[in-house]
Amino acid sequence: MDSTMHTKLPPCKSACPILTNVQEYVQLIAERRFPEAFATIRSLNPLPSVCGRICTHPCETACKRGQIDEPIAIAALKRFAGDGPWAARYTVGVPRQSTGHKIAVVGSGPAGLSAAHDLALLGHYVTIFEALPVLGGMLRVGVPAYRLPKDVLDEEVQAILALGVETKTGIQIGKDVKLPELFEQGYEALFVAIGAHEDRKLGIAGEDELEGIVSAVSFLNAVNQCRDLQVGNTVAVIGGGNTAIDSARSLVRLGAESVHVVYRRSMEEMPAAREEVEEAIHEGVQVAFLTSPVEILGKGGKVSSLKCMKNELGEPDAGGRRSPMPVPGSEFAIDVDMVVAAIGQTPHSSLLARDIGFTEKGKVIHLTDVETLATTRSGIFAGGDAVTGPATVIKAIAAGKRAAVCIDAYLNGESPPSIVASEAAPTEKLPQNVVERTKNFLRHEAISFPIGDRVKSFDEVKSVLTEDLAVGEALRCLHCTLGATVDTEKCISCLNCVQACPVGAPATTKMGEITIDRFSCQACGVCVLECPVQAIDIALQPRADVKGQVREALRSGDNSVIIGFFDYHGNFGPNHMELLKDDYPAIVPIMVHGLRRIDTSDVLKAFELGADAVILAGCRPEADPYPAARKNVGGRMADARTVLDVLGLDGRRLMVVDMPEQGLIEAEQVQALMGLVSELGPNPLR
Amino acid sequence: MIILDRKGFDEIEQMVKGCGRLLVLGCDTCSAMCFTGGQRQVEELASPIRMKRKMSGDAGEVVEDTVARQCELEFIAPIEDTVTGCDAVLSLACGAGVQTLAKAFPDIRILPALNTKFIGRTVERGVWKEMCRACGDCILGRTAGICPVTRCAKGLLNGACGGASEGKCEVSKDRPCAWQEIYHAMKRLDLLHYLKEKPQVKSWPIHPARVVREDLRKGLAT
Repeated sequence: MDSTMHTKLPPCKSACPILTNVQEYVQLIAERRFPEAFATIRSLNPLPSVCGRICTHPCETACKRGQIDEPIAIAALKRFAGDGPWAARYTVGVPRQSTGHKIAVVGSGPAGLSAAHDLALLGHYVTIFEALPVLGGMLRVGVPAYRLPKDVLDEEVQAILALGVETKTGIQIGKDVKLPELFEQGYEALFVAIGAHEDRKLGIAGEDELEGIVSAVSFLNAVNQCRDLQVGNTVAVIGGGNTAIDSARSLVRLGAESVHVVYRRSMEEMPAAREEVEEAIHEGVQVAFLTSPVEILGKGGKVSSLKCMKNELGEPDAGGRRSPMPVPGSEFAIDVDMVVAAIGQTPHSSLLARDIGFTEKGKVIHLTDVETLATTRSGIFAGGDAVTGPATVIKAIAAGKRAAVCIDAYLNGESPPSIVASEAAPTEKLPQNVVERTKNFLRHEAISFPIGDRVKSFDEVKSVLTEDLAVGEALRCLHCTLGATVDTEKCISCLNCVQACPVGAPATTKMGEITIDRFSCQACGVCVLECPVQAIDIALQPRADVKGQVREALRSGDNSVIIGFFDYHGNFGPNHMELLKDDYPAIVPIMVHGLRRIDTSDVLKAFELGADAVILAGCRPEADPYPAARKNVGGRMADARTVLDVLGLDGRRLMVVDMPEQGLIEAEQVQALMGLVSELGPNPLR
Repeated sequence: MIILDRKGFDEIEQMVKGCGRLLVLGCDTCSAMCFTGGQRQVEELASPIRMKRKMSGDAGEVVEDTVARQCELEFIAPIEDTVTGCDAVLSLACGAGVQTLAKAFPDIRILPALNTKFIGRTVERGVWKEMCRACGDCILGRTAGICPVTRCAKGLLNGACGGASEGKCEVSKDRPCAWQEIYHAMKRLDLLHYLKEKPQVKSWPIHPARVVREDLRKGLAT
């Protein structure tokens, strides 16, 4: 067996800075096990609902489905898992017995909160110092409420504090208390996660003299703390990151009549999330690409216009992005009465520069060891935007979690375990034949509220996915790494799998050995039953699972039992399952990923063990990802019926049906089968 | 490979009736490839036999096993204890496998669950075609790789009989005339002059045939 098979991670997981078990929770949602899906997310991520809304979801970029049609809407599924009523019932876990160690976390953004959460669970005593009067860092004062409602943040922060984390707000470390003084107060290790809250200057004429020029951080800070805010009628926002777009969309909501985002490169190079830019444009924001500001002009001490120049893209720079080159003679002016500068942020280095080292370039905290997050001073660790410059919430969470591991090791006098997967490997390219042979399913989108309503308030702009949509979306997953594996000891190279695979994943070597391409396989399960010698098994619902469930259902052997195999791809909810149990207690449901997983021997075994009848209820053809495999099911069951007839058990006890538009099975079909069973009498083998 | 087909369950059921403890034994080579003798088919057959026995009150346990090839004594040897612990073996192998078992275990009843059909190939999933009759004296080199012994209904060696119409055999309209196919193929290869030669006198085997390789027997082969 290929030994790399089980060690390789699915692309969605390996793309996540905290290695979230994305595939696992997507799968749990597909199986309608919502509380477990949330537990999977929450066990690694203390801010699941935050990430469900504002994560830049590198997992979706990596998703294999993206090479077929569109990636799985993973972030929307995370939000769904975090917004459901089950989330409130989740218990975070009990902190370990107190270690007696005291740790100070400086900054309450995602990095600080995550570190505090993990350190508290490890049994350490944690105090968070926050300069602002409120907790959450950029999540609180940077991200506008239409993207991340404050109560969502509050709930997740409260759950972290409930672990016994102490907070001291309104204390600016470096000013009110010097960083080294924390050691004197008994803290044994410090985690500096102060974020990057200082806007870079534009560096153009007029910037310092005129009224009406604000930095994006201070602007968003005011927006988020509901301070009384006067905005201009015509506003230019300079920059192309998420901060620029957040500012622009906030300005629209605060009544600015015309908002121009001025960005020096093209859409292609824009660091802001594509969907954010698109939403901004929907809301009326105008984006001037390939445009650089040259000078801010004023009248009577106030901003009156922004002089700009058009750019062309030149050669790629060191970072791979093409550099803007000004086009001579292309100057033009936009009449504006307000300018928001959003061209990047740095940490407040001046406050801590005497205590720990900062880099020359970029003015961020210098780590002496990126593995351990150690700074120039022993016992002080740092992470998040303060180290990387403005980055993503999930990177900050990753840094906070890593800090917790490193600080714990430091306090125990050990060295921390090395980082498992530092950089995500690029997703492999699917062979063209697999792309062509994979059925397309459109992405399920949550409802976006109408533009007219949206721009009047800071209410959230997108609804959460409904249960049906979330399940449908999760069912689009192509199950990377959960596919089929060949036991080469058993394989007889009969080629049945090669001929049967709907996407062409198995291949033969010159010597006749069969290999199933790990990345091409979608775990449909077709080959598993096509293999005459049972040399193939599958990680997604292995054979033993189906067989075990049949045996378990018929273990007592006393009552009348009807085995019902139901396809996860049917359109039903938890209520339908309850109804089935109430109305037809004899039916024992066994959920399967497609009827193509049910073998003749499974059905015969059910009768051998005393089942009175067997129902196979498959999804409707349009919902079936592998419709070509349906005739295999028909053939197998026809065969099983013949055997049942010869045995005198009556083949009609085996019923194969399509599931209804909604629900698990039509009542008439069940009643007809029940009628037949009472007419024929119980299975004589019981 | 050797192509096999399943016997009807009725026939099997009659055979195994009252024969006590029964081993249903698969064969993981040709038979498995034909979907007749793999572990999966063993399960599919053993299960209804058990059901039938239970319903008719026929005693005797039904056990399952599979070997790599039933036609080799070396592969049978490891299951000797299992076989001798049974009253009968239902073999999911070809005639060679069944007879090898019968020779190896003369005191046990060996029953065939399959019909051995021919030497052939898989045309598509669920369809197999006879390609060779094992005549013992191959002439495919003179017939463009198309076997008239197997594929001509009359097994003619010297050309079409005259009964063919529009390229189809008089036996069945679904059946191409093998000699017409041979003619076209030889023409394509520019070898038609071969067909003018006298047909090769074939050495038909005397059954049961036997192959003896003196070089191998005496260990003289290099």
